[in-house]
Amino acid sequence: MRKTFIMAWRNIWRNKRRTLITVASIFFAVFFAVIMRSFQLGSYDHMIHQAIESFSGYIQIQNKDFLDDPTLDNTIPYDQNLLSKVNTVDNIKIAVPRVESFALASTGIQSKGVLVTGIDPEKEKLLSDPENRIVKYRFTPEIVAKILAKTNLPKKQLGLLKSNQNKSFSSLSRISLDLALDKKLENTLFPIINELASFNGNYLTSHDDGVLLSDRLSKYLKANVGDTIVLMGAGYHGTTAANVFPVRGIVQILSPELDNKLVYMTLENSQEFFSLENRITSLNINLDDIDDMLETHSKIKEAIQSDLVTVKTWEEFNPTMKQQIEGDSVGGVIFIGILYFIVLFGIIGTVLMMIAERKRELGVMVAIGMSKMKLTFVLIIEMLFLGFIGMITGLGASAPLIILGNRNPLKMTGEMAKMYEDMGFDPVMPLAWFDQYFFWQGAIIMIMVLIACYLPLRRVRKMKVISALRA
Amino acid sequence: MKVIDIKNLTKIYNESEVKVKAVDGISLSFEQGEFAAIVGPSGSGKTTLLNLIGGLDKPTQGEISVDGTDIGGLNSSQLIDFRLRNIGFVFQAYNLIPVLTAKENVEFIMELQGKKRIERDERSIELLSAVGLGERVNARPSKLSGGQQQRVAVARALASKPKFILADEPTANLDSKSTETLLNIMEQLNKEENITFIFSTHDQRVVKKARRVITVEDGRVVSDEKRN
Repeated sequence: MRKTFIMAWRNIWRNKRRTLITVASIFFAVFFAVIMRSFQLGSYDHMIHQAIESFSGYIQIQNKDFLDDPTLDNTIPYDQNLLSKVNTVDNIKIAVPRVESFALASTGIQSKGVLVTGIDPEKEKLLSDPENRIVKYRFTPEIVAKILAKTNLPKKQLGLLKSNQNKSFSSLSRISLDLALDKKLENTLFPIINELASFNGNYLTSHDDGVLLSDRLSKYLKANVGDTIVLMGAGYHGTTAANVFPVRGIVQILSPELDNKLVYMTLENSQEFFSLENRITSLNINLDDIDDMLETHSKIKEAIQSDLVTVKTWEEFNPTMKQQIEGDSVGGVIFIGILYFIVLFGIIGTVLMMIAERKRELGVMVAIGMSKMKLTFVLIIEMLFLGFIGMITGLGASAPLIILGNRNPLKMTGEMAKMYEDMGFDPVMPLAWFDQYFFWQGAIIMIMVLIACYLPLRRVRKMKVISALRA
Repeated sequence: MKVIDIKNLTKIYNESEVKVKAVDGISLSFEQGEFAAIVGPSGSGKTTLLNLIGGLDKPTQGEISVDGTDIGGLNSSQLIDFRLRNIGFVFQAYNLIPVLTAKENVEFIMELQGKKRIERDERSIELLSAVGLGERVNARPSKLSGGQQQRVAVARALASKPKFILADEPTANLDSKSTETLLNIMEQLNKEENITFIFSTHDQRVVKKARRVITVEDGRVVSDEKRN
């Protein structure tokens, strides 16, 4: 056996150039496949983190009919009993109650259909965290004019400031990103922005009777902090829901769709408004370990044991996102498949050349008494050596990049960054940490090598010794 | 004692539409310890005859019995195993395994036979010393001359302790000195160890040394001369 490995190892170095070309093709295939897949999976993790972990939660407890008929008639009672049952399950990071329903909002000037979301202000900080999205700066045309009068901005920043007119910001860091400011310009401009563009707004207190309006909605309704809005809608079991609410703050929602219609109020306030007493539309749950989501889901189901209540994973209550990820993932897999397919033919070519070049030698081996099975084994070991070298070097080269890209995600700038932010995501592209995908690339290469060996090795099995000796 | 018994051996090649009778009804037998040369002009069928005796090719008709075993009745893998345990081959172009050293080449067959490492080590060195290459055991074939490579091939053929050795034009690529050395080694092994050697050749130096000369023409034995 030892001699077989020695022979195989020495054989692959008989034609160094061919070996290096084959190894290089496997190296690049593994390297690019790993990095590409890592970027893809990293971005999915990031999307899930942003949209699911930071807004809806990974698991929701709802009325069993709510997903098909999302009205207030399909709500669930929110009491200590439900919470204590949920809290018996491990892996639960936070369970946040929500009331979500639609109403008509009016300021007297404008009116619009809105999504009223009742939240527990303290608990919600651990989920969608509206407090950190409160608008603190607004670039109205008048404010932009004043800023321009006070500073002498470079041409690029001047253009960017004008293009950001009418925009709101929850932080100076986002202003810096949008205006492409360096440290020096930040030092000049930030005091002026603080003086001229600061926007007063507060987060909701526990028993607040006011509301937070999403940024785009507030502009549409022409409502500002301190103004009041009228909300009208249908409450629980067809009751009329109507009331006047003072605006406490403007909150910037990254998803444009939600930013056009979201109204936050306290859970208590929303239950009173919709005559829901102590009912909620969903209990949104975040997890400590996402990998155990399905197990946790089953355990919650088991703990609750109710025919009226259902437990849904994010993949069930947000199928669109799941389909988006799956669609994109399939695209990536197809691309990697094509890459591997090309490499597969390269490997087949190498095996064929190896056999053709050594036909006489292989014939001699069989003539003197080596079984074709053993001969086939030597050739397979040779190809596995090539695959192994390519795989190890490919994985080895990609590993430091994965560590670097995971710890320090690639930060996007310019239009790409804005596009990401507008879609509701941080403008970063992290690489996924080592997981099954990483080791699978290695396994796929080794499987491919074995597949590539099949046809040529069949030739060996069918080889006629006498004609091989004449080669 | 008969080592090889050939009866009415025929081999017909069907090259396109023309049938070529390479061996035409040959009947022969070889005793243990013979030093025989099969001679004849190119295309006379001597290499085909050797290939048939060695089980490398299948006869169209006839019977080859080696030590009582009809090798025509063996399937492909049985034949490979039969060759491994009974026949030693020396080829015209040496045909050593280029990635193995002289010693490893000799050991190779014993490893296929499943011999233990100590036995392989001892016998390979002993055989290489016997063919005068005791100092070159770790040289790869590319570092050896043609004559030296052919001597390694002889050592390899002997390694499996075969019943006989088939050598197809073993001196065709060698100079006079190397031919002389090789023939002396083989003659010595034949005499001292009683190993049967069967050559196909048209080298007169080999013919002179042979104690039996079988002349083949058009696939038939035209003379079978035994010498003392």
